Amino acid sequence: MSTALQVEPTIETSKSGAQLVKDTYKGKVHPDWCPGCGDFSVLSALQTALLELRLSPHQVVVISGIGCSSNLPGFINTYGMHTLHGRSLAVGVGLKLANHELKVICVGGDGDGYGIGGNHFLHTLRRNVDLTYIVMDNQIYGLTTGQTSPTSVKGMKTKSTPHGNVENPINPIPLAMVGGATYVARGFSGKQKHLVELFKGAITHHGFALVDVFSPCVTYNKDNTYQWFNPRVKPLEEQGHDPTDFHKALDKGYQFGEEVPIGLFWKRNDLPTLEDLEPVLHDGGGPLAFRGLGIPGEQCRALIQELL
Amino acid sequence: MIQDVIIGIAGAGGDGVISAGESLITAAALEGYHGMMTKSFGSQIRGGEASCRVRLSTHPVLNPNGPLDVAVALNWEDFRRFGAELPVESSTMVVYESRTGVAADQLPLEGVRPGVVFSVPIAEMAQQNAGTEKAKNIVIIGLLAGWFGIGRESMLAGIRKKFARKGAEVVEGNARAFQAGLDFAEAHPLKEDRKLGAPHNRSAKMLTDGNDICAAAAIFAGCTFFGGYPITPSTEIMQFLDREIWKYGGAVLQAEDEIAGVGAVVGASFAGKKAMTATSGPGMSLKTEMLGLASIAELPLVCINVQRGGPSTGIPTKAEQSDLFQAAFSAHGDCLRPVLAPVSVGDTFGITVEAFNLAEQYQTPVIVLSDQEIAQRKETVEPIDTSRFGLVERRRPTDAELVNYTRFKVTESGISPISQPGVPGGNYLASGIEHNEAGGPTANGETHARMNEKRFRKFNSLKNRRDLFAVEGEPDAPIGLVSWGSVSGVAKEALRLAQAEGLHVKLLVPKLLYPVVETVYQDFFASVRRGLFIEQSFQGQLYRLVRMYADVPARVRPLAKSGSNPIQPTEVLERLREMVASLQATHQHAEAIEG
Repeated sequence: MSTALQVEPTIETSKSGAQLVKDTYKGKVHPDWCPGCGDFSVLSALQTALLELRLSPHQVVVISGIGCSSNLPGFINTYGMHTLHGRSLAVGVGLKLANHELKVICVGGDGDGYGIGGNHFLHTLRRNVDLTYIVMDNQIYGLTTGQTSPTSVKGMKTKSTPHGNVENPINPIPLAMVGGATYVARGFSGKQKHLVELFKGAITHHGFALVDVFSPCVTYNKDNTYQWFNPRVKPLEEQGHDPTDFHKALDKGYQFGEEVPIGLFWKRNDLPTLEDLEPVLHDGGGPLAFRGLGIPGEQCRALIQELL
Repeated sequence: MIQDVIIGIAGAGGDGVISAGESLITAAALEGYHGMMTKSFGSQIRGGEASCRVRLSTHPVLNPNGPLDVAVALNWEDFRRFGAELPVESSTMVVYESRTGVAADQLPLEGVRPGVVFSVPIAEMAQQNAGTEKAKNIVIIGLLAGWFGIGRESMLAGIRKKFARKGAEVVEGNARAFQAGLDFAEAHPLKEDRKLGAPHNRSAKMLTDGNDICAAAAIFAGCTFFGGYPITPSTEIMQFLDREIWKYGGAVLQAEDEIAGVGAVVGASFAGKKAMTATSGPGMSLKTEMLGLASIAELPLVCINVQRGGPSTGIPTKAEQSDLFQAAFSAHGDCLRPVLAPVSVGDTFGITVEAFNLAEQYQTPVIVLSDQEIAQRKETVEPIDTSRFGLVERRRPTDAELVNYTRFKVTESGISPISQPGVPGGNYLASGIEHNEAGGPTANGETHARMNEKRFRKFNSLKNRRDLFAVEGEPDAPIGLVSWGSVSGVAKEALRLAQAEGLHVKLLVPKLLYPVVETVYQDFFASVRRGLFIEQSFQGQLYRLVRMYADVPARVRPLAKSGSNPIQPTEVLERLREMVASLQATHQHAEAIEG
């Protein structure tokens, strides 16, 4: 169902939006990824999505954890934070509450998000914080040169599993759905145009949006390569999938083998976000981050009274 | 007539021991007395033994410790569980529940025979007058109000207010129980008058604790975001903010863990707002990686550590001063984070505001070391004059600086203009990875060295803040005491006692613990030949920390004890007398040689 991918026309564009070109989003530093890394495609798709949504660099914050893919904020021209391993969502939630008008996009890898940051993942989606989470899932630890990751397939031989991985991988799609995410999608670096649409849908979605992207590691993952994915990935949009059907979406989410579905699995728009429910933001006074400092004398006295 | 009284009450959970202490100190505060109340519990969440100590005085109270003037035991097993926290001496007046069946001359107190002992049928009086044994605590406050002449009217008013919801019958029952206590005291007058004198000034005092006042100070300082996780004994800070902050334009996130709590604070600070987290030792261990990130990304934030006994889970419900090393050195890499410590409940207001000011001025995390003692004790505080406190905000870039904006520009002061998302042209990368002046990631050793130097240099002016150190006593005294945090009250009281005996002593109380300001200690120790660092930790962490940076005379030693073993002012006084004697002996010896 292709309509599910259409961008909602709710987004505010900047006054200078007319001058935006793709190079606007080019960072000061050239990516240090290996030639052929799937993350190049994710970066490019994200830049295109921001351009097509007419979002200016000052309206967007890209936050990452640690890992090859977490270097991305250095390569894109927006506000950015390159935080700690697994912590991008934790930082993103505070940022979003302090300035709910920003577009917050957290990015990272599978180890960062589903391993060391697993707890933050579960709780951020449970709260339905209005942010986008892009996981560049290469099913391996690349920065540390090739150990098993939470999404490595069973039996996969890595430096840390010379006899083959004995653990079951995390499947982020059903996990996010059951946990309460309100936009759950999966993309593939080899299908960049499709990825752009998924990103645009996620960024404009009002609520927590996960886009798990198969982003092959050409150096350390010899199993799940472009060649492996190319014949297997099947866009849900071509299969007449209804992203409002929770149980069908779950079934699709469990598919990983001869056929690997990509696209928008699940979406709902009927739930309030964390910021919607925050009492202090109900007064329409704008983002907390731009409100004046200090409290007037009368309020001050009321505050001190509270201590008595 | 007396000027000061220390009352200890212990019983089983549900006996209303804490409530009795609260009624007592509330009434006294309304009448203008000064006071402190500490609570102590067994490890059970509900039930188990409970005790409180209430110290009331006509003058400001410096510390809650000291042998009890009055001990109230609802049963002896629970009373004895508190050991040194409720020290009974022969001068202590003992009041206990008759139903315990213990003879007045056979109290189960080892090595002590108190002179004044009353066996009182407390439960029976409660039952007879209020129709329920629950009114035992009301009988107790009646007894104490009678014997010590504290707050009779205020207490009765308090009882009426407290039970108003429960109907006239309950109110009157409790009023009768209170009167029964008063009557008993009147029928059994003390040989020696122990009525508390009139307060030094009669203006009503605020009665609050360190956690609530810390939270209120944060709101006052302009904190509009709190991220944290419940942990004893700091949780009340978050709860106060949960209740209040939204009225003042702020929000609270109770995060999934300690890491996310401070993580959200880092995010909110990047967004441009003053933000804070609060925790205790175990949470502090989890937060350190984020403090490191905030240090290198130069993001202001305040982290309150309400210290408890450690390591690991340690003793969650009791104070200790054993997290100083952690505060100073926790996160890896070369970095410096200011560490502040308040000395009392009242002082916590100013120190919290100061923490926000330093965080903003120096673009750094600031750690405040409170402790369970300050955090959870009720203390009378003089009304706060908020006009005394100025508020500082981080240095923003000018319009000109937003052209080719350089976030980490190496300036003369080391402080660079900090932008915030939403500002066109101000976008930059705040990173935990080393970065160049523009914020771009780098592994260049020279850049790393230059940025490290900048991040340390920016604190140079902090070392001029002499106002963060309090010195009392004779400037040229040969004996010097150093103490910090809640324990400095004990040192201060010991100083007063020593001065009253004509001993030449002085006291240094640093509120800025780290960085160690060498010159302050050099100046203080210039005249000092003997001395003590008085601290509530096994190692004497401030003593050791100061010695890393400053010369401490060889005969200045730590008087350090693990948490919840109170250090008594009299114990310090004893040591001071020994030092005076030792100095005199040395002096005579020297004269003999010269002669």
